[in-house]
Amino acid sequence: MEKLSDIANQIIREEIEDFLEQPEEIERNIKLFSRAQPLMQEIAAALIEGDDSEVDLLTRNALESGIDAIEVMDDGLIAGMGIVGIKFRDAFIFVPEVLACARAMKAGMAHLEPILSAAGVEPLGTVIMGTVKGDLHDIGKNLCIMMLRGAGFNVIDLGVDTSADEFIDAVEQHGAPLMGMSALLTTTMPNMGTTIEAFIDADLRDDVQIMVGGAPVTEGFADDMGADGYGKDALACVALAKQLLPINPT
Amino acid sequence: MSEIDPAEYQERLDRISDIFAGMVSHAETTTQHRCPYRDRHDHCTALFACRNQQPNQGDLETLICGHDGVFDYRDAWESHPRNQERMQRKIRNIRLKAQHRRSKGEPGIQEP
Repeated sequence: MEKLSDIANQIIREEIEDFLEQPEEIERNIKLFSRAQPLMQEIAAALIEGDDSEVDLLTRNALESGIDAIEVMDDGLIAGMGIVGIKFRDAFIFVPEVLACARAMKAGMAHLEPILSAAGVEPLGTVIMGTVKGDLHDIGKNLCIMMLRGAGFNVIDLGVDTSADEFIDAVEQHGAPLMGMSALLTTTMPNMGTTIEAFIDADLRDDVQIMVGGAPVTEGFADDMGADGYGKDALACVALAKQLLPINPT
Repeated sequence: MSEIDPAEYQERLDRISDIFAGMVSHAETTTQHRCPYRDRHDHCTALFACRNQQPNQGDLETLICGHDGVFDYRDAWESHPRNQERMQRKIRNIRLKAQHRRSKGEPGIQEP
């Protein structure tokens, strides 16, 4: 039976020792990491620390050295994210740390793209995401982006305070068939309507499906502003994105 | 270059989605009593101003979340139902005005 000391990486050992409390989770992670190559442990450790540049570098090195992409996912990225999930559930870390880890995971997953492309696996679709003009709240949008990327979408994040022109430019530049707008403030919600009207003025409305969401937004508001769909949370956002896009399963 | 089996890759994506879905559900619960912008060091990561932000004595670059966790911080964010009604009228007007403008062949509003 594997022991904690069988794990080469000190950070991983400390993470298991300091933050995992349930015996079956401790046992499962000791087993997983003690069998993982040291480089995979390093990837997982960097991901747990939310260090996207380190995950980027290590993942590239791993793939260039011939390590199998599935092994990188299983023993590096997903194994690290598993620990992150436990730490979040047990209140050792919170939403900002989870989002940093998700960004680190994205940095690693980016290196899989050419391999996936060569295997004929393409993203489910490109989605443009942004918080509307005048609004600086980004957690809801970022959780949606995390979920969309996890589901296999290619997401272009325009950040906060996004003008109608910025949405239009991004949709045109990336040829995105889907766009999501978020607002947390009641006062900024009308800017979703203004943006949709700007798409009509630019003669692009028929080229893009528009979904909206955020705390003050409701199905009724979404209908009033002429959106194609409303997602009440990040889980609903993914379901809606899949529904709005014609998807060919890989 | 390494190769990948699409079915095996999809299996991994499903696992990632499961992990993230659990996190999002948990976030829904925890954000009812702890602001989602508050990190593990109690630093505020919000890009906007909040009444709960306080200066961090040890680091002038960061702000500390001063919310005591006793009552719902979202009171500071949520607006009155009257504002919702006002915004609904505004949203409907945006659409009506744009339709009217287009019917007259007038150009769209240019952003500054």
